[in-house]
Amino acid sequence: MLMSRNAVISIDHVHKTFKRRVHALRGVSMRVHEGEIFGLLGPNGAGKSTLVKILMTVIRPGRLEGTMLGKPVGHKPTLRQVGYLPEHHRFPGYLKAAQVLDYFAALSGVRRSLRRKKTDEMLELVGMSDWARLRISGFSKGMLQRIGIAQALMNDPKVLLLDEPTDGVDPVGRREIRDLLLRLREQGHTIFINSHLLSELEMVCDRVSIMVKGRVSMEGTIDDLTSASKRYEIIVQGEAPSSIADNKDLTIESLGDSSTKLTLMSSEAEVVQPLIDQLRSASVVIRSIEPVRESLEDLFMRAVQAAGDSTPGAVMGKKSGGGQA
Amino acid sequence: MTAIFAILVDSYRALKAQKLFKTVLVLSMLVIVGYASFGFNDKGVFLFFGAMQIETEYFKAGTPLASTLYTGIFSAFIVSLWLGWVATILALISTSSIYPQFLSAGSVELVMSKPIRRTTMFIAKYIGGLLFVILQVGLFCLGAFLVTGWRIGEWNPAIFLAIPLVTVFFSYLFCVNTLVGVLTRSTLVALLFTLLFWFLTFSVRTADDVLNTFQFQAEGMVAVQEQTLETARAQLVGFRDELESLEESGTESGREYYQSQIKRMEVIVEEDEALLQGRQDALAQLRPWVTVLDVIRWPLPETQRTIGLLQRWVDQGKSVTMNDILTGRFIEEEQERLEAEEDTSADIGRERGGWKERRQQRREAESRMIDREEDVSAASIIGWSLLFELVILILAWWIFVRRDY
Repeated sequence: MLMSRNAVISIDHVHKTFKRRVHALRGVSMRVHEGEIFGLLGPNGAGKSTLVKILMTVIRPGRLEGTMLGKPVGHKPTLRQVGYLPEHHRFPGYLKAAQVLDYFAALSGVRRSLRRKKTDEMLELVGMSDWARLRISGFSKGMLQRIGIAQALMNDPKVLLLDEPTDGVDPVGRREIRDLLLRLREQGHTIFINSHLLSELEMVCDRVSIMVKGRVSMEGTIDDLTSASKRYEIIVQGEAPSSIADNKDLTIESLGDSSTKLTLMSSEAEVVQPLIDQLRSASVVIRSIEPVRESLEDLFMRAVQAAGDSTPGAVMGKKSGGGQA
Repeated sequence: MTAIFAILVDSYRALKAQKLFKTVLVLSMLVIVGYASFGFNDKGVFLFFGAMQIETEYFKAGTPLASTLYTGIFSAFIVSLWLGWVATILALISTSSIYPQFLSAGSVELVMSKPIRRTTMFIAKYIGGLLFVILQVGLFCLGAFLVTGWRIGEWNPAIFLAIPLVTVFFSYLFCVNTLVGVLTRSTLVALLFTLLFWFLTFSVRTADDVLNTFQFQAEGMVAVQEQTLETARAQLVGFRDELESLEESGTESGREYYQSQIKRMEVIVEEDEALLQGRQDALAQLRPWVTVLDVIRWPLPETQRTIGLLQRWVDQGKSVTMNDILTGRFIEEEQERLEAEEDTSADIGRERGGWKERRQQRREAESRMIDREEDVSAASIIGWSLLFELVILILAWWIFVRRDY
């Protein structure tokens, strides 16, 4: 089993098959390091939520090797140090906001005296202090999401697993949640986010893993994963001079508005300088020079396409006797 | 313990939030007020807080009959009908959603991801469900205890036995509710199935009781018929002996009489044999069905018998029981009349199949049924029923802890 010294979550060969034929996870291996924000991406039905539920003991794996916070996955007492916000969570409507936090903190084993203090703190943190004594049955989705995040933080977790944390939250709220996640990372918390909002993940994640059809397709820092796609794009007025045509790393594309795009496949600024000199010496008007790299969305699409087809969902197989794919 | 306490507190909050919980509480209080509205004075029984008076020599303030009647109305009617039926149906409606809601998508992930064992969760939730009944019946019994003390001056702590009894009785049904709730995660299916199960146990028990009464009655009829036939045969033998001795002695007088008596008795014996055969056939037809129902009834929980235990315990040590009042046996004259009837029925053989015989056999059958009920110990009633509950709960627990949510 592969182990990283500072891996807070280290899992290998995770398999899960539902009803003997839906192969939700097919040998997932993953590392989440201490103090990082880790993003788990994937199309619908890729197995992301199943994986998170396995980590949280909500679902039993068919097969799994690995640890969370140094203990085998499934070790219930370890969950005292883990915060979790499930997707589409539903709190009992008869509870008030403060009671929700108190109840779930009690389930996590937080002592009563500490719960009172933490409830006020957490409600303040998510901007819900004024709503503490009101029943949550009347809350909007965004407000419930804030309560959900506060609930996940009540036990001061070392690891925080958030499934679609910004779902239903307005842009201001999303910004606040992003800032909160960055603050938590600074405080040493490890955060595992499962989300569809790629642009948001791109802003906060240190590392990402892309899952497609129950397998990890890519994993690493966004920088590493996109390094091969780093390039400079230069837009010039008119046509490109013939003197640069023999540059093998250069792609020339006419844009049709009497301008041309020159793409140089390199992430190094030094490499682009001679080309600029050549353009200048040929009296070509340079409109813009921009370092470009693949976006997370591009990366995601590439991973999905590389998996074979773009059909979402888990892999359906023939009925088998075992619990794994 | 923090987590278990939290689940119990949450169960209480969930129940408190339901309008039905408050409705049942209000209705229970109305029943108690109704119970308090009648009592006894020197003239007899008064109703509607004295607005109506029924003069009777039997039920006067301070008499043992009045005491038995007042506590008996609580145990035989209020507990059996209100707590044993109406309040239980309302409690089932209230609690049927406990497991389906707990296991619904979005809720279950939050709880299952906490550092609590699923077994602990399951048990705490189950106890939480029983809280509904414990709280309702507890308050109800407190009211009944105060009213009884106020009306007849008898502070009978046996009234509080209704709390464990009704709770245990409810738990027989709630375990089925839990199993179906865990299995289907549907409140409606859980409720319907539980009510169906309750109806089944009630029907089986009622059918078994009726058939047993028939069987006892038929056995009695056969016994009486055997005795009658025996008597008739003895008489026939007697007449034949008399005729034989007359013939041996050569006496002519009386021969005709004995010959006619022998002919009459031969007809009677023939009729009695046919009647006995008919009754034995009827009994033989009944017995397999009684056995079948006994077998079906055996694994089912004893819902009504459990509730009936309260009557048994409340009546304990009393000179006159509620059963005596209900059957009218408490009245001396009535008892004497019954005894007189029993005496006259000694010559039952002469009115074979007559109404007196049938009535007596019915009464004896009822008496045997009462004896049969009283012979079943409380430990056996509750023990077997709890065993059923345990089996169902183990099944529900197994599904609960092994399922993926």
